Amino acid sequence: MQAITKSDFIGKDTAAAEKRPFVFTRPTAKTGLVSWLTTVDHKRVGLLYGVSSLIFFLVGGFEALLIRIQLAVPNNTFLSAQTYNELFTMHATTMIFLAVMPLSAAFFNYIMPLQIGARDVAFPRLNGFAFWVFLAGAIILNVGWFVKSGAPDVGWFGYAPLTSTAYSNQFATDMSTDLWVMGLQILGVSSVVGSLNFIVTIINMRAPGMTMMRLPVFTWMTLITAFLIVLSFPAITIALIALMMDRSFGTSFFEVSNGGLPILWQHLFWIFGHPEVYILILPAMGIISEILPTFSRKPLFGYPIIVFSGAVIGLLGFGVWSHHMFTTGMGTMATAAFSIATMAIAVPTGVKIFNWIGTLWNGQLQMRTPMMFALGFVWMFMMGGFSGIMHSAAPADAQQQDSYFVVAHFHYVLIGGSIFALLAGIHYWFPLIFGRKVSEAWGKFSFWAIFVGFNVTFFPMHFLGLNGMPRRTFTYDGNMGWNSANFIASVGAMILGIGMAVYFVVMLYTYFKGEKVGRDPWGARTLEWSIPNPPPEYNFAVIPTVHARDAFWYEKNHRDEIEREKAKSAAEEESHGGIHMPSQSWFPLLAAMALLTGGLFFTNHNFMGAIAGGVVLFIAVYLWAWEGPGGYHLHLDKDGNPIEPKDGQAHH
Amino acid sequence: MRTLSRRAEAFRPPRFPFGDMTLTLTLRTAFSRARSLVLVGLLPLLTGGWTSGPQSTFETHGPVAKTQLDVFYVTLWVSVILFVLVAAVLAYATLRFRVRSGDLSNQPPPEQSHGNPLIEIGLIVLSIGALVIIAVPTMRAIWYTYDVPEAERANAYEVTATGYQWWFKFEYPQEQIEGSGALVTGNELVIPAGRPVRVNLRTVDVIHSFWVPKLAGKVDMMPNRGNHLWLKADEPGYFWGQCAEFCGESHAVMRFRVIALSEADFAAWLAQQKSPARTVPGTQIGATPAAGTPRVEFASYKYEKQRPNSPGWSEGFDRAPFAAWQQKQQVDAGEKPELIAQGRKLFIEKKCAGCHEVRGHEGAGISGPNLTRIGARTTIAGGLLENTEQNLHRWLTEPNNVKPGNKMWFGGYVVRNSETGAWEEQFSINDDEARSLVAYLHSLK
Amino acid sequence: MSSHSASGAIDHHHDATTSTGIPNKKLFMWTFLASDCMFFGALISMHVVYRIHPPAGSPDPRSVFSIELTSFSTFILLMSSLLMALAVNAIQKGNVRSTRNNLLGTIFFGLIFLACQVYEFQHFVHDRGLTLSSSLFGSTFYTLTGTHGCHVAIGVLWLILMYIRSFKPADAEQSSQPWFIMSIVHLLVFAVAVILGVYVVVDFAHQMHVPTFSVGSFLSGHLLSLIGLAASIGGLMFLGRSRGQVDFGERNAIDVESMGLYWHFVDIVWIIIFPVVYLLEYI
Repeated sequence: MQAITKSDFIGKDTAAAEKRPFVFTRPTAKTGLVSWLTTVDHKRVGLLYGVSSLIFFLVGGFEALLIRIQLAVPNNTFLSAQTYNELFTMHATTMIFLAVMPLSAAFFNYIMPLQIGARDVAFPRLNGFAFWVFLAGAIILNVGWFVKSGAPDVGWFGYAPLTSTAYSNQFATDMSTDLWVMGLQILGVSSVVGSLNFIVTIINMRAPGMTMMRLPVFTWMTLITAFLIVLSFPAITIALIALMMDRSFGTSFFEVSNGGLPILWQHLFWIFGHPEVYILILPAMGIISEILPTFSRKPLFGYPIIVFSGAVIGLLGFGVWSHHMFTTGMGTMATAAFSIATMAIAVPTGVKIFNWIGTLWNGQLQMRTPMMFALGFVWMFMMGGFSGIMHSAAPADAQQQDSYFVVAHFHYVLIGGSIFALLAGIHYWFPLIFGRKVSEAWGKFSFWAIFVGFNVTFFPMHFLGLNGMPRRTFTYDGNMGWNSANFIASVGAMILGIGMAVYFVVMLYTYFKGEKVGRDPWGARTLEWSIPNPPPEYNFAVIPTVHARDAFWYEKNHRDEIEREKAKSAAEEESHGGIHMPSQSWFPLLAAMALLTGGLFFTNHNFMGAIAGGVVLFIAVYLWAWEGPGGYHLHLDKDGNPIEPKDGQAHH
Repeated sequence: MRTLSRRAEAFRPPRFPFGDMTLTLTLRTAFSRARSLVLVGLLPLLTGGWTSGPQSTFETHGPVAKTQLDVFYVTLWVSVILFVLVAAVLAYATLRFRVRSGDLSNQPPPEQSHGNPLIEIGLIVLSIGALVIIAVPTMRAIWYTYDVPEAERANAYEVTATGYQWWFKFEYPQEQIEGSGALVTGNELVIPAGRPVRVNLRTVDVIHSFWVPKLAGKVDMMPNRGNHLWLKADEPGYFWGQCAEFCGESHAVMRFRVIALSEADFAAWLAQQKSPARTVPGTQIGATPAAGTPRVEFASYKYEKQRPNSPGWSEGFDRAPFAAWQQKQQVDAGEKPELIAQGRKLFIEKKCAGCHEVRGHEGAGISGPNLTRIGARTTIAGGLLENTEQNLHRWLTEPNNVKPGNKMWFGGYVVRNSETGAWEEQFSINDDEARSLVAYLHSLK
Repeated sequence: MSSHSASGAIDHHHDATTSTGIPNKKLFMWTFLASDCMFFGALISMHVVYRIHPPAGSPDPRSVFSIELTSFSTFILLMSSLLMALAVNAIQKGNVRSTRNNLLGTIFFGLIFLACQVYEFQHFVHDRGLTLSSSLFGSTFYTLTGTHGCHVAIGVLWLILMYIRSFKPADAEQSSQPWFIMSIVHLLVFAVAVILGVYVVVDFAHQMHVPTFSVGSFLSGHLLSLIGLAASIGGLMFLGRSRGQVDFGERNAIDVESMGLYWHFVDIVWIIIFPVVYLLEYI
C-alpha cells in the first residue's frame, strides 16, 4: 500500500507537508486487497455487492435443491424435520435479503450513477459502509449453520409466539432465533443507509438537463425502491427490537401469557413485508424497461405511465399488507377492504405489461440473450401476476393461503420476475462492466435450461396447492395425490439448478476469456453506454449535458452539437480545478466490523462484548467524521487518461 | 401392454413405488424411473388426476368450500381469458417484429414513437372492468363464508377446536357431562352432516391453522384472539384436515380428520361418547388376573420394527376410510383381558395417566389428547398414522421418530436435567409393555 | 473540505452544486427523518395498541406517572429547540461565539431532559414497581421512551462534538498544535462533566424524598463527585476559551442546520409521545 499524506488536491502544490495524525492517512491503493477494502468507488461497491449476492444466491439455491430432494418422494427421510425447517427458513431469508436485494443494490450502485451522469454517489464512504454492514448481517444470519443450536428455524416471517424462547427447539440454549433477529436488524441498517444515499444521489446529483422526467426508468425504479426501503424497514426494525427485548430482557411484547398479541407482530412484519415484495420486483421492472427498448430500437412506450404506475405500486404497496393475513380472522370489513386494495394494485402492474408490449410493437426486435431473459420475464411475471389476482379474492385465498399455490405464485414473481430480470441485467451490462460479451449460444442455452427447469419446477405447484398440500412441511403421505407433481417439481429443480450452473460457469468463462467488445455493443439508449468499457474510475471525462430522455440515443444523433458542448464543459471544469474524486477510507469497514462483533456478542448474550462493539463503532464513526470526506483532483489529457501529478504522489 | 387407464390406475397413490428413502436411494431410483414417471405423471394432469385427492379443494363437500371454489373459478376464468388475450398479442408482437439479421447498425431505426395515451387509458379502464367482475362475487363470498348465515344460525352446532404442538383438541360445549364438563375428544372431529357447524378456534401455544379443504378454507388459531369459522358437510363422510400455519418442528405431521355423520348416527355417537370409558370385565386395577402374568403369545400380533417415516396407512383404509371409521366403532374380536389389565396398570406406571385423560379410568391429565375413546379412532399421533396395532406399537416405543420433537417424548420419555440442561431418559417402553398398552388402548371404544 | 466552498457570500438556501439546490446533507437528513417517522410511528402504535387493549392486571398509568416532572422536562426540551434554532441562525451569520453559547445551552437543556428521564425511570422502577418486564405497559413504556431518550442522547453527543469541532484552529493542518489530541481531551473532560453532573443531580432528586435527608450529608457523601464535577467544569472553561482563528465558520452552517433538523425532530416526537403516553387517561 502506497500512502500519501496529503489527502487533498493532488496535482496542486503539495510542498507544505500536512501534519495529520497517522489514523487519518488516507489509503490510496488502486489495486489489490486494500483497494477493495477501502473503496468508495460506486462501481467497486457495486461489484462487491454483485459478487457476494451471487455467492449467497448459489447458497440459497443449494438449500432449495436439498428441499426438493426431500420432497421428491413421500415420507422421505433424507432430511430431518429440524434440518428441513432450518433449510426453508434460510432459503427464504437468504434469497430475499442476501441474494435478490443486494443484487438489485449492485445494479443501483453500478448503473444508476452512470445513468444520471454522476461521478459517484452523494456519500461515497457511506456507500462502502452499507456494503460492509450488509456483509456483517449476512455472516450473522449464516453463522447458525456452524453452531450447536443450528440455523434459524422459525420461517423467514418469524411469526410470534413461535419465536419466543418458550418454543425454541429442544436445545437448552437456542440462539438461532437471536442470530436471525440480529442478522435482519443489521441488514436493515445496511439497506436503509444505502437507500438514503441513493435517494440523495438521484435527486441531487443528476447531470445538467437530466430532469426527473428524463431519468431512465431503471433510475426511477431505484428511487422508488429506495423510498420503499426507507419507509418500510423501520416497521420490521421495531418488531425485531421488541422480539429481541422479549428474548433477551424478559419483556412481553409477544409473550402470550402476559397478554402479548402475536397478531401485532404480523401487522408490523407485513407492513414491512409487503413493500418488501415491491422492493424485490421494482428494480427488476426497471431493468426490463431498459432492455426492451434497447433491443427493440425504440423508446419505451408510455414512459410517463410506466413511471407513474411504478410510483402508484410503491404507494399502494403500503396499503395492502393485510392480504397476507386473510386467514387470521380480521373480520369482514378489513378483509373486504384489503381484498379491493389488492385487486387495485393489479392495475398499475398490468399497465406496465401493456406498455412493454407497446414497446415491442413496430420495433426491430433483436433476440439477443438479454432480450430473451427480458421476454421470459414478461411471460413469467404475467403468470405470477394472474395467480396473484387469484389470491386477492379473500375467499379463494382461504384455500390457497399457506399452500403450495402460494409457493408457486411467489416463485413465479420472484424467479420468473426478479431473478430473470437480474440475470438479464447481468447479461446486458456485462460488456459495459467487463468489456467482454457472453457468447450468444451459451447464453441462450442457459436461458432455455433455466426457463424450462423453472416452469417444470413451479407450474405443478399450483396444482399441489389447490390439491391441499400445505407449505413448510418436511414430509407428506403418499396417499394424498401429490406424488407425481412433487416428483416432477423436483426433477424441474434439478434442471433449473443445471441451468443456473451453466449460466454462472459461462459468466466466469466470459470474465476471463470472453470476446472483447467496444463501446455500446447493443446500440443502447442511456448514458452509461456513452463511456468506455470498462468504465474509468471517474466515469465521465466530461459531465454530459442532457437534452432528451434516452440521452445517449440523442447524443448519437447529434454528434457535432454534443462534441462542441463537451469541449466547453471540459474547459469549464478544468478551470474549477479538474475532476474531483473522493478519497478512500478505512472507517466504513471498521464500523461495520464493530457491528459484526458487537452483534455476535449480543446474540450470545455477552453484553459486555456487545458494549465493546458499540464503543468501537463510536470510535470508528468519530474518526470517520474527523477525517472528513477528503478528495483529490484528476486532470485528463486529450485521450481521457489521467495526467500524472508532478510530485510523484501518483496512485497507479 | 398396459392401457392408458391401467397406467393411471398404476399411478394411484397407495401403490406409489417410493416409500422411505435416503439420498442415494432417491437418486438411483429417480433416474431409473424418471422416464416412465414423467410420462405417467403428465397423464393425470390431463385427466384431472392432479386435482383430486383427500385434501383437494376442487372436490367440495360443503357450501363454504363450494363458495370459495366458485370465487376461485371466477378469478381463474377472468385470469385465463386475460392471459390468453395478452399472451396472444405479446406472442404476435414478438414474432412479427423480430429481425433475423444480426447487424442493424446500418439500418434506419424504427419510428421513435413514445406511446399512445388513448390506448393506455383504454387498457387501464378495461383492466379495472375485469377486476370488478372478480370483486363482486368476492365481496359476497367474504360475508357468506365469515359466519353461519342468519337463517341457519339457530340450527348451528358449536364445537371448539384447540391447537396444541402438534395435535388438535375438540370440545363440544353443547354436550356437558355430569361432573367433568364438556365432551372432549382429540384429532378426529365428529360433526352432524347437513347442519352448519361453528368451530371456535383456540390455541394453547403457537399459531396453528384449521384447514379441512373439502369443507372450508382455513382460519388461523391465534393466541389471545377468539377466531372462528363455520362449515357444513352436505353428506356423511370422512374428511382430511391439516394444520396450515408453520408451528414448529413437526408442523408437517399435525393432521386431523373430520367425520360427518347423519343426525341419527351422530346422536348415537354422542350418547356413546358421553358414557365413561369402556371397561373390559376383570381388567380393573386390583382385579385378580384371570390367567396369571400375560406373556408375549397372548398378543394377537407380532411387531415388526418399521423404518422411520414409513407410510402410516393401509390400502384398505385408504380406499374406504369412512367404512374403516365405522368398523372402528365396534369392539375388537379376541380381546385379551389379561393383556388389557396389564396395560391399564402400565398406563399409570409409565406416567401416561399424568397427561392423558381416560374418563372413568385412571387417566387424569389434560396436557395430552383425551384417550377415553382412543380405540374408536381411525388415527393416532395427531392424524398421522392409521390406528392399527403395529402403528400404535411403533408410536409408543419410538415416538420421537414418528413425530420429531413431540411433547410425549420431550418431557415424558425423556426429561431435561435442570442442572446440566441435558435430556435424560425417564422411562422407556419395551415391546412386551407396548403390546399390553396397545391392548388396553384398543379396548377403549 | 469540499472544493466547492466558493468565495464570497454563502447562500444558505441554495446549493448551486446540486440539481435541486438543496444541499446533500440536508436532503439526507430530511429523508432519514422520514424513515425515523415510521420508526417512531411503529413504536408509538405498539404502545397505544397495548394501552387500548391492556392485559388483565395492568397497572393504572395514572398511578405511575408524575405529570408535573414530565411537563417540566417537556418544557425544557422545547426550550432547547429554541436555542438550537438560535445556534443555526448564529452560524449562518458567521458568529461562532454565539453559536457556541447556544450549542452549550442546547446541550445543557438536553442534559436536564435526560436527567429527568433517568430520575423518572429510577423512580418508577424502585418506587412504583414498574419494570421492563413487570407488565406489557412497562415493556412498551420503557422501550418507547427509552428509544426516544437514546435519540436525545445521540443528539447531545452530536452537539458536544460539534461544539468541540468549533475550536479547530484555522491552521490545524500546518500548526504544531496537536489538535486531534486536544479534541479528544476536550471530549473526555466533557464526558466526565456530563456523567458526574447527571449522577449528582439525579441522586439529589432521589434522596430529597428520604425523611432523613440533609443537604450537608448529601454534599459530604458526594464530595469526590462534586470535586470532579467542579474540576471538569473548570477544565471545560479553560478549554473553551478563545484561542485565535478557527476553522469553523459560516460555511459549516449546513452541518449545524442538519443537526438542528435532527434535534427539532426529536423534540417533535416528544411532543407526540408526551400526550399519547403520559396524558392519555386525562384527554
